[in-house]
Amino acid sequence: MGLNDNMENESISKELEAALNSFKTKSNQVPEGYFDQFEVDVMQKIQANKSSQNKVTIISLFARHKKYLVAASLFFAIATGYLFYNSAENKTATMAQVDVIDIETLPDELIEAYVSNNELIAEVEWNSAIENAGTSISSTNN
Amino acid sequence: MTDQALITQFQNGDSKEGAFTQLLKRHQEPVFFQIKKMVIEHADADDIAQAVWIKVWNKLDGFKQESAFSTWLFRVAYNETLNFIAQKKRLQAQTKQNHQDHGLSHPSSHNTIKESDIQIKLERAIAELPEKQRFVFMLRYFDAFDYEKIASITGTTVGGAKSNYHQAVKKMTELIHNA
Repeated sequence: MGLNDNMENESISKELEAALNSFKTKSNQVPEGYFDQFEVDVMQKIQANKSSQNKVTIISLFARHKKYLVAASLFFAIATGYLFYNSAENKTATMAQVDVIDIETLPDELIEAYVSNNELIAEVEWNSAIENAGTSISSTNN
Repeated sequence: MTDQALITQFQNGDSKEGAFTQLLKRHQEPVFFQIKKMVIEHADADDIAQAVWIKVWNKLDGFKQESAFSTWLFRVAYNETLNFIAQKKRLQAQTKQNHQDHGLSHPSSHNTIKESDIQIKLERAIAELPEKQRFVFMLRYFDAFDYEKIASITGTTVGGAKSNYHQAVKKMTELIHNA
């Protein structure tokens, strides 16, 4: 019987079993000291790979994610441009927006203050308009 | 220390090399012999085994210990062995050699010890097996791995692993008696 004594190996003939055992013996032959040297060889290769891997890792990181970085940059540029354009339009709209105030709602003090502040200007403009029209009117507001 | 403790030590960065070499010493022989049964040539087995352990070093930080370390290790060995055999076949096809060795060296062609006819037939029969069947058969017959573990290693189902094993036995029997 083979190494595995389960019933499934009943289909393996004694001839095959003997050949398999010989095959195993042959396969398990290694040079003397092989496994001690194997450990040394593996660790040497790992050390050699370490130093070169450090640089490669950095490069490969960017290379691997390059397309995502490009897409993100493009999106950021478009988003920034849109926001800037939108903001500029809003400002203009805000500047162009004029609040219409109903004069009846204004307090009398405010109206009187406005009139007295602008009275002289209004008189000058009024006189200029009269002069331009070719007539003269004396003011009764002394 | 258990494998889990050594892996945890490695992943914590605590004496990585010490933990790794302990794992290597513990598992190197069964892995190497499994690979050698697949490829026969010692030099090829040596190359593959070194590649396996270098890959283990590089990937061990990400090993989540959802399976046993030996299962994962043999999975790495399985993939590396099959990649090696596939690459060798491509090279042989390119150089237009007339070997029909299916990734193995020609049986007994360099062996100075006289081998029985049946042994030569067996090695040819093994070489004729598809790689997956061959790997499954070796794990089951020589290492007595259970089918659940074999299925995890080869990425198949338990039923698939059983089928692979029985197909391998059937083909070897036919080839030995008919060749």
